[in-house]
Amino acid sequence: MGIFGLSLRNLLRHPVRSLLTALSLMVAIFLLCSLRSMVTALTAAATEASTTRLWVQSAVSLYVGMPLSYPTRIEAIDGVKEAFPFQWFGGVYQDPSNFFGQFAVDPEKLLRAYPELVWLEGSPEDFIGTRTGALVGTGLAKTFDWKVGDKIPLSGALFPHPDGVDVAWDFEVVGIYEASKASLDENTFFFHWDYFEKTLEVDRDAPVEVGAIVVSIEPTTSATRVMSEIDALYENGPQRVQTTTESEFQAQFASMFGNVPFFVSVIGGAVLAAIVLACINTMLMAAREQTHDIGIMKSLGFPDTSMFRLLLTQSFLLCGVGGAMGLGLALGSEGGMRELVSSMLPAYRILDETKILAVVLIVVIGLVAGIAPALRSSRLKCIDALSARE
Amino acid sequence: MLVPLSYNLRSLFVRRSASLLTIFGIAATVATVAGVLALQQGFASIYAESGREDVAVFLRPGSTYEGDSVFTRERGAYLVKGLQEAAVDEEGLPLAGIECFLAIRRFKLSGGETNVPIRGVQPATFAIRGDEIEIVEGRTFTPGTNEVIVGRRLTGRIRDCDVGDVITLNTTPCQVVGVFESGGTFDSEIWGDMDSILTALNRYGPNRVIARLADGVSLEALAARLKEDKQAPAKVLTERAYLSSQTTALSLVLKFLSGFLGLIMGIAAVFTATNTMLSAIAARTHEIGILLATGFRPVAIFLSFLFESLLLGLLGGLVGCLLTLPINGIETGTTNFQTFTEIAFAFRVTPSVLMTAVLFSLLLGLVGGMLPAWKAARLTPTQALRRG
Repeated sequence: MGIFGLSLRNLLRHPVRSLLTALSLMVAIFLLCSLRSMVTALTAAATEASTTRLWVQSAVSLYVGMPLSYPTRIEAIDGVKEAFPFQWFGGVYQDPSNFFGQFAVDPEKLLRAYPELVWLEGSPEDFIGTRTGALVGTGLAKTFDWKVGDKIPLSGALFPHPDGVDVAWDFEVVGIYEASKASLDENTFFFHWDYFEKTLEVDRDAPVEVGAIVVSIEPTTSATRVMSEIDALYENGPQRVQTTTESEFQAQFASMFGNVPFFVSVIGGAVLAAIVLACINTMLMAAREQTHDIGIMKSLGFPDTSMFRLLLTQSFLLCGVGGAMGLGLALGSEGGMRELVSSMLPAYRILDETKILAVVLIVVIGLVAGIAPALRSSRLKCIDALSARE
Repeated sequence: MLVPLSYNLRSLFVRRSASLLTIFGIAATVATVAGVLALQQGFASIYAESGREDVAVFLRPGSTYEGDSVFTRERGAYLVKGLQEAAVDEEGLPLAGIECFLAIRRFKLSGGETNVPIRGVQPATFAIRGDEIEIVEGRTFTPGTNEVIVGRRLTGRIRDCDVGDVITLNTTPCQVVGVFESGGTFDSEIWGDMDSILTALNRYGPNRVIARLADGVSLEALAARLKEDKQAPAKVLTERAYLSSQTTALSLVLKFLSGFLGLIMGIAAVFTATNTMLSAIAARTHEIGILLATGFRPVAIFLSFLFESLLLGLLGGLVGCLLTLPINGIETGTTNFQTFTEIAFAFRVTPSVLMTAVLFSLLLGLVGGMLPAWKAARLTPTQALRRG
């Protein structure tokens, strides 16, 4: 029987203990993978962002809009293909807990600016031709079981309907899309800017403004130049603007989570610390019990290095099995977890680098847990080991 | 007859390396849960403790947050004038004022952008709040000018928030002339003159009205009256109720997070405790045999090992609490995603956090000790004496 077989036998000598240790390592690796994937999901939209779309917002506040004349003036800049309003609506569907993004957009320009938008149901013509039409992401369609033709009432928490606070805005689902890249969220509800603007124009204390403007530029144009030209256009008012690349635009939302990624790392560290201690504990117990066996093997002529390898192999075997189960669990539950957190982190995915990190950690834990028992066993004197009682 | 407790204490000490590893494993779990709870406590307390019962907040019907609420200046003034329910000052004027509110883009000193609330107030706000607002550095702003004062928790975290700095609102430079402290959410805000700020930000109307209620006024009656008002319908609630309604979502997420982490890490900690106890029992099979042979009942053996496991849990819990204590008072900031503004607060390791931590650690010890203690109690004296 080789070292490997003997290691396996030794681990199975205490099946409950080995199982519990492997299971706790499984839990820890699963937790680390999911926590890290949540953090990477925060920034996913920024990393896959389009390079031909720029975003214009008020430089003063997220809550302040820009005059309606802005998109037209921006379209006159050299290198700009099109510019259109992208207006946060903030409506409520049935209950405030049903949170998802709704945006008033120019339908034709939206479809031209977002090549990653893939039609699943309905057609571009229906969306463009229906004034109250809504184009919804497949994530939303699944969550609320929406089909093409469904009537969707949204109450305007941010923009009350002019006919009264209790009057809902009526929409009709005319299309369902999916995204071929993470730069487009599959939980978004798009509808006509014209419907939004014309409804609000009636009886309003303040003029209708536009919250964000999407600018699509020629691929060959320098984004930096266009950005500074747009900013310069309104340097002295009426509303100063801040033009960013799409990746900076997405990153600003990620940065608002503030210290969350840091907290998650601290938690991950605590999980790791706890689990390393558990593995060390198990390996120390195993080594103590095997002292007598080691004495016998040494007296039979097995070299010290074999003893070292025997204990280290056990540690790697134990951690490898537990860690592999944890990684397997994390990968297996990826779809379920994505649905669980889809409203907040639609881009939940276990990236390759997370998998690599998990494998590296498993190896390191195996080494850390096994090294002390392995060294001790290789240094034991034959006579001391033999005289030890189990 | 029960097995003497000193037996367990000694055996924990004899197997101290395994005991310590288990204790620290439990401690790490408990500390994580306690840390997240301390974050939630710090966050919730800043909202709950600063809201006043005798101050009423008036919002546009249908809005839940002052950022969403809009009044025209005329409607606001009409509300203030007709407010018989408000307390009055020495000159007989109602203690009520209009405020404007906006979350503005600011940059953190540590890098990155965040949303800082700016509030434009009238002199009435200071009259309503009395001593609540304390200037800790510099002086307060002069009404009618572009001067502003900043909350204490902004200095040192947000750019341009020291006395003498200039904050530019759209195109208007505003001089920071003082730092104030209130102990609540206002400490993360910038304050200035309402009319100047509305002009600087090019806003059309203020966002809310606040008033100090006269003694004996029923808030329900006031709310009912203004709900039906033709000229300026409004939603009325106490400041405390308003502020605590702003925390529900984040508090829920943090409690869910601590529960989720507690469950997952708790499972791992229970496994470790079980392992330690199993090996403790395997090493002491002979002793268990002696105990049984001298007349101790299996129940006593069961309780003895369960106690030992509980003790492991408790020690882990205490170490975990010690690990958590240093974070008490550390200031941090997070975005309250209900309001999308950044709020600064300190971790608070409250007695209830520590209590939860200790109870959790005992639970870990209890669950972890069940199986091993059961195994130990099932041994027969002859079996046990023969082994080991």
